[in-house]
Amino acid sequence: MAEIDDIIHQPLRLRIMAALNALPVSAGLEFARLKKLTGATDGNLGAHIETLARAGYVSVEKAFVGKKPQTTVTATAAGRSAFARHVATLQQIIATSGSDK
Amino acid sequence: MIDRSEASAALADIDDMVRRVRQSRIYDLASQMMVMWGALVFVGYLVTYLVPRHATIGWVAVYAIGIAGWAWLSIANRPRSGVRTFDLKIFLAFAMFLAFGIFCCWLGHFGPRQISAFWPIYFMTVYAIAGLWLGYAFVAIGLVVIALTLAGFLWLGSAFDLWMAFVNGGGLVLGGLWMRRS
Repeated sequence: MAEIDDIIHQPLRLRIMAALNALPVSAGLEFARLKKLTGATDGNLGAHIETLARAGYVSVEKAFVGKKPQTTVTATAAGRSAFARHVATLQQIIATSGSDK
Repeated sequence: MIDRSEASAALADIDDMVRRVRQSRIYDLASQMMVMWGALVFVGYLVTYLVPRHATIGWVAVYAIGIAGWAWLSIANRPRSGVRTFDLKIFLAFAMFLAFGIFCCWLGHFGPRQISAFWPIYFMTVYAIAGLWLGYAFVAIGLVVIALTLAGFLWLGSAFDLWMAFVNGGGLVLGGLWMRRS
Protein backbone atom coordinates (compact mmCIF):
# COMPACT_ATOMS: atom_id res chain seq x y z
CA MET A 1 0.00 0.00 0.00
CA ALA A 2 1.22 3.54 -0.77
CA GLU A 3 2.43 5.62 2.14
CA ILE A 4 0.59 8.61 3.50
CA ASP A 5 2.26 11.91 2.53
CA ASP A 6 3.04 13.45 5.92
CA ILE A 7 3.55 16.91 4.44
CA ILE A 8 0.05 16.97 2.98
CA HIS A 9 -1.71 14.97 5.68
CA GLN A 10 -1.42 17.67 8.38
CA PRO A 11 -5.05 19.01 8.64
CA LEU A 12 -4.41 22.62 7.65
CA ARG A 13 -1.99 21.70 4.85
CA LEU A 14 -4.55 19.19 3.59
CA ARG A 15 -7.15 21.97 3.44
CA ILE A 16 -4.72 24.30 1.66
CA MET A 17 -3.86 21.66 -0.94
CA ALA A 18 -7.53 20.70 -1.37
CA ALA A 19 -8.45 24.35 -1.99
CA LEU A 20 -5.63 24.92 -4.49
CA ASN A 21 -6.35 21.66 -6.32
CA ALA A 22 -9.98 22.68 -6.78
CA LEU A 23 -8.79 25.54 -9.03
CA PRO A 24 -7.89 25.32 -12.72
CA VAL A 25 -4.21 24.49 -13.37
CA SER A 26 -1.97 27.56 -12.86
CA ALA A 27 -4.73 29.50 -11.07
CA GLY A 28 -3.91 30.51 -7.51
CA LEU A 29 -5.58 31.89 -4.41
CA GLU A 30 -4.76 35.12 -2.65
CA PHE A 31 -3.53 34.74 0.92
CA ALA A 32 -6.57 36.55 2.36
CA ARG A 33 -8.99 34.34 0.42
CA LEU A 34 -7.11 31.20 1.46
CA LYS A 35 -7.22 32.37 5.06
CA LYS A 36 -10.99 32.82 4.89
CA LEU A 37 -11.52 29.46 3.18
CA THR A 38 -9.37 27.46 5.60
CA GLY A 39 -10.30 29.39 8.74
CA ALA A 40 -6.61 29.66 9.71
CA THR A 41 -4.80 32.53 11.40
CA ASP A 42 -2.21 34.62 9.49
CA GLY A 43 0.79 33.11 11.27
CA ASN A 44 -0.41 29.53 11.12
CA LEU A 45 -1.32 29.77 7.44
CA GLY A 46 1.99 31.44 6.56
CA ALA A 47 3.99 28.73 8.34
CA HIS A 48 2.16 25.89 6.62
CA ILE A 49 2.39 27.53 3.20
CA GLU A 50 6.13 27.79 3.77
CA THR A 51 6.31 24.05 4.56
CA LEU A 52 4.41 23.24 1.37
CA ALA A 53 6.61 25.62 -0.65
CA ARG A 54 9.79 23.99 0.73
CA ALA A 55 8.44 20.62 -0.41
CA GLY A 56 7.84 22.08 -3.87
CA TYR A 57 4.07 21.55 -3.61
CA VAL A 58 3.09 25.21 -3.93
CA SER A 59 4.60 28.34 -5.41
CA VAL A 60 4.24 31.70 -3.69
CA GLU A 61 4.12 34.91 -5.67
CA LYS A 62 4.25 38.31 -4.04
CA ALA A 63 3.17 41.41 -5.94
CA PHE A 64 1.78 44.86 -5.34
CA VAL A 65 -1.77 45.63 -6.40
CA GLY A 66 -1.83 49.40 -6.27
CA LYS A 67 -0.06 50.09 -2.97
CA LYS A 68 -1.24 46.90 -1.27
CA PRO A 69 1.01 43.82 -1.16
CA GLN A 70 -0.70 40.68 -2.41
CA THR A 71 0.50 37.12 -1.93
CA THR A 72 -0.82 34.46 -4.29
CA VAL A 73 -0.36 30.75 -3.63
CA THR A 74 -0.57 28.24 -6.49
CA ALA A 75 -0.30 24.45 -6.49
CA THR A 76 2.66 23.26 -8.57
CA ALA A 77 2.50 20.24 -10.88
CA ALA A 78 4.42 18.26 -8.24
CA GLY A 79 1.92 19.42 -5.61
CA ARG A 80 -1.06 18.35 -7.71
CA SER A 81 0.48 14.91 -8.33
CA ALA A 82 1.33 14.47 -4.63
CA PHE A 83 -2.21 15.50 -3.66
CA ALA A 84 -3.76 13.08 -6.17
CA ARG A 85 -1.56 10.27 -4.79
CA HIS A 86 -2.52 11.20 -1.24
CA VAL A 87 -6.23 11.12 -2.05
CA ALA A 88 -5.79 7.75 -3.79
CA THR A 89 -4.01 6.42 -0.70
CA LEU A 90 -6.85 7.60 1.57
CA GLN A 91 -9.39 5.93 -0.70
CA GLN A 92 -7.30 2.77 -0.71
CA ILE A 93 -7.19 2.71 3.11
CA ILE A 94 -10.98 2.95 3.25
CA ALA A 95 -11.46 0.28 0.59
CA THR A 96 -8.94 -2.10 2.16
CA SER A 97 -10.23 -1.75 5.73
CA GLY A 98 -13.79 -2.13 4.41
CA SER A 99 -12.94 -5.43 2.71
CA ASP A 100 -11.13 -6.71 5.86
CA LYS A 101 -14.38 -6.68 7.85
CA MET B 1 -0.31 4.54 9.32
CA ILE B 2 -3.78 5.98 9.69
CA ASP B 3 -7.01 4.06 10.13
CA ARG B 4 -10.25 4.03 8.17
CA SER B 5 -12.02 6.70 10.24
CA GLU B 6 -9.08 9.13 9.92
CA ALA B 7 -8.97 8.54 6.17
CA SER B 8 -12.73 9.15 5.91
CA ALA B 9 -12.42 12.35 7.95
CA ALA B 10 -9.59 13.58 5.68
CA LEU B 11 -11.62 12.88 2.54
CA ALA B 12 -14.65 14.64 4.04
CA ASP B 13 -12.40 17.62 4.80
CA ILE B 14 -11.21 17.66 1.18
CA ASP B 15 -14.83 17.54 -0.10
CA ASP B 16 -15.74 20.41 2.19
CA MET B 17 -12.86 22.54 0.87
CA VAL B 18 -13.74 21.79 -2.75
CA ARG B 19 -17.34 22.86 -2.05
CA ARG B 20 -16.14 26.08 -0.35
CA VAL B 21 -13.78 26.96 -3.20
CA ARG B 22 -16.50 26.32 -5.77
CA GLN B 23 -18.90 28.58 -3.89
CA SER B 24 -16.23 31.23 -3.43
CA ARG B 25 -15.53 31.26 -7.21
CA ILE B 26 -19.24 31.51 -8.00
CA TYR B 27 -19.69 34.36 -5.50
CA ASP B 28 -16.63 36.17 -6.84
CA LEU B 29 -17.85 36.12 -10.42
CA ALA B 30 -21.48 36.75 -9.46
CA SER B 31 -20.48 39.79 -7.41
CA GLN B 32 -18.84 41.40 -10.45
CA MET B 33 -21.93 40.65 -12.55
CA MET B 34 -24.24 42.05 -9.89
CA VAL B 35 -22.30 45.29 -9.53
CA MET B 36 -22.33 45.74 -13.32
CA TRP B 37 -26.05 44.92 -13.71
CA GLY B 38 -26.88 47.02 -10.65
CA ALA B 39 -25.21 50.09 -12.13
CA LEU B 40 -26.96 49.54 -15.49
CA VAL B 41 -30.37 48.94 -13.92
CA PHE B 42 -29.91 52.07 -11.78
CA VAL B 43 -29.36 54.12 -14.96
CA GLY B 44 -32.32 52.38 -16.68
CA TYR B 45 -34.78 53.27 -13.91
CA LEU B 46 -33.37 56.77 -13.61
CA VAL B 47 -33.98 57.33 -17.35
CA THR B 48 -37.50 55.86 -16.95
CA TYR B 49 -38.20 58.26 -14.08
CA LEU B 50 -36.65 61.40 -15.56
CA VAL B 51 -37.43 60.99 -19.29
CA PRO B 52 -40.20 58.35 -19.54
CA ARG B 53 -40.58 58.81 -23.31
CA HIS B 54 -37.03 57.44 -23.76
CA ALA B 55 -37.56 54.51 -21.36
CA THR B 56 -37.81 51.83 -24.07
CA ILE B 57 -34.60 52.81 -25.84
CA GLY B 58 -32.96 53.21 -22.44
CA TRP B 59 -33.81 49.64 -21.43
CA VAL B 60 -32.75 48.23 -24.81
CA ALA B 61 -29.38 49.92 -24.25
CA VAL B 62 -29.20 48.56 -20.69
CA TYR B 63 -29.74 44.99 -21.89
CA ALA B 64 -27.37 45.31 -24.86
CA ILE B 65 -24.56 46.71 -22.70
CA GLY B 66 -25.37 44.23 -19.94
CA ILE B 67 -25.16 41.18 -22.22
CA ALA B 68 -21.89 42.44 -23.76
CA GLY B 69 -20.47 43.10 -20.28
CA TRP B 70 -21.63 39.68 -19.09
CA ALA B 71 -19.82 37.98 -21.99
CA TRP B 72 -16.69 40.04 -21.36
CA LEU B 73 -16.61 39.31 -17.60
CA SER B 74 -17.14 35.62 -18.25
CA ILE B 75 -14.32 35.42 -20.80
CA ALA B 76 -11.96 37.57 -18.71
CA ASN B 77 -12.52 35.49 -15.56
CA ARG B 78 -12.52 32.05 -17.15
CA PRO B 79 -8.78 31.24 -16.84
CA ARG B 80 -8.75 32.24 -13.16
CA SER B 81 -12.12 30.91 -12.05
CA GLY B 82 -12.66 27.98 -14.38
CA VAL B 83 -16.37 28.85 -14.23
CA ARG B 84 -18.22 29.10 -17.53
CA THR B 85 -21.09 31.56 -17.28
CA PHE B 86 -21.60 32.58 -20.89
CA ASP B 87 -21.89 30.51 -24.03
CA LEU B 88 -24.43 30.05 -26.81
CA LYS B 89 -26.75 27.86 -24.74
CA ILE B 90 -26.73 30.27 -21.80
CA PHE B 91 -27.33 33.17 -24.17
CA LEU B 92 -30.28 31.34 -25.77
CA ALA B 93 -31.69 30.47 -22.35
CA PHE B 94 -31.46 34.17 -21.41
CA ALA B 95 -33.10 35.19 -24.71
CA MET B 96 -35.99 32.74 -24.07
CA PHE B 97 -36.30 34.03 -20.52
CA LEU B 98 -36.55 37.61 -21.85
CA ALA B 99 -39.00 36.55 -24.57
CA PHE B 100 -41.27 34.90 -22.01
CA GLY B 101 -41.17 38.05 -19.87
CA ILE B 102 -42.13 40.19 -22.88
CA PHE B 103 -44.94 37.71 -23.66
CA CYS B 104 -46.25 38.00 -20.07
CA CYS B 105 -46.23 41.83 -20.31
CA TRP B 106 -48.12 41.64 -23.61
CA LEU B 107 -50.61 39.01 -22.43
CA GLY B 108 -51.31 40.86 -19.19
CA HIS B 109 -51.62 44.29 -20.91
CA PHE B 110 -49.16 45.66 -18.33
CA GLY B 111 -48.86 49.42 -18.03
CA PRO B 112 -45.49 51.16 -17.39
CA ARG B 113 -45.83 50.82 -13.61
CA GLN B 114 -46.64 47.11 -13.79
CA ILE B 115 -43.72 46.58 -16.19
CA SER B 116 -41.37 48.36 -13.78
CA ALA B 117 -42.48 46.01 -11.00
CA PHE B 118 -42.72 42.85 -13.10
CA TRP B 119 -39.15 42.64 -14.46
CA PRO B 120 -37.26 42.82 -11.15
CA ILE B 121 -39.70 40.36 -9.53
CA TYR B 122 -39.34 38.02 -12.54
CA PHE B 123 -35.54 38.23 -12.52
CA MET B 124 -35.21 37.96 -8.76
CA THR B 125 -37.52 34.93 -8.56
CA VAL B 126 -35.24 32.99 -10.91
CA TYR B 127 -32.24 34.40 -9.05
CA ALA B 128 -33.60 33.19 -5.69
CA ILE B 129 -34.45 29.75 -7.13
CA ALA B 130 -30.91 29.44 -8.55
CA GLY B 131 -29.64 30.35 -5.09
CA LEU B 132 -30.97 27.05 -3.72
CA TRP B 133 -28.11 25.41 -5.65
CA LEU B 134 -25.55 28.24 -5.95
CA GLY B 135 -25.61 29.66 -2.42
CA TYR B 136 -28.14 31.11 0.01
CA ALA B 137 -26.84 34.67 -0.45
CA PHE B 138 -28.63 34.67 -3.83
CA VAL B 139 -31.89 33.62 -2.15
CA ALA B 140 -31.61 36.36 0.48
CA ILE B 141 -30.78 39.12 -2.02
CA GLY B 142 -33.54 37.97 -4.40
CA LEU B 143 -36.25 37.88 -1.73
CA VAL B 144 -35.27 41.26 -0.25
CA VAL B 145 -35.40 42.96 -3.68
CA ILE B 146 -38.79 41.31 -4.42
CA ALA B 147 -40.22 42.47 -1.09
CA LEU B 148 -38.98 46.06 -1.56
CA THR B 149 -40.27 46.11 -5.16
CA LEU B 150 -43.75 45.05 -4.00
CA ALA B 151 -43.68 47.59 -1.18
CA GLY B 152 -42.85 50.38 -3.64
CA PHE B 153 -45.44 49.17 -6.14
CA LEU B 154 -48.21 49.12 -3.54
CA TRP B 155 -47.41 52.18 -1.48
CA LEU B 156 -45.31 54.59 -3.53
CA GLY B 157 -46.85 56.96 -6.02
CA SER B 158 -45.08 58.65 -8.88
CA ALA B 159 -41.64 58.10 -7.31
CA PHE B 160 -41.86 54.33 -7.91
CA ASP B 161 -39.25 54.28 -10.72
CA LEU B 162 -36.88 56.38 -8.61
CA TRP B 163 -37.46 53.94 -5.73
CA MET B 164 -36.68 51.04 -8.09
CA ALA B 165 -33.42 52.71 -9.21
CA PHE B 166 -32.21 52.50 -5.62
CA VAL B 167 -33.91 49.24 -4.60
CA ASN B 168 -33.10 47.18 -7.69
CA GLY B 169 -29.98 48.96 -8.97
CA GLY B 170 -28.61 49.86 -5.56
CA GLY B 171 -29.67 46.51 -4.12
CA LEU B 172 -27.72 44.62 -6.77
CA VAL B 173 -24.61 46.78 -6.29
CA LEU B 174 -24.71 46.42 -2.49
CA GLY B 175 -25.52 42.72 -2.77
CA GLY B 176 -22.57 42.26 -5.13
CA LEU B 177 -20.18 44.10 -2.81
CA TRP B 178 -21.45 42.10 0.16
CA MET B 179 -21.03 38.86 -1.78
CA ARG B 180 -17.42 39.78 -2.61
CA ARG B 181 -16.66 40.04 1.11
CA SER B 182 -18.36 36.78 2.05
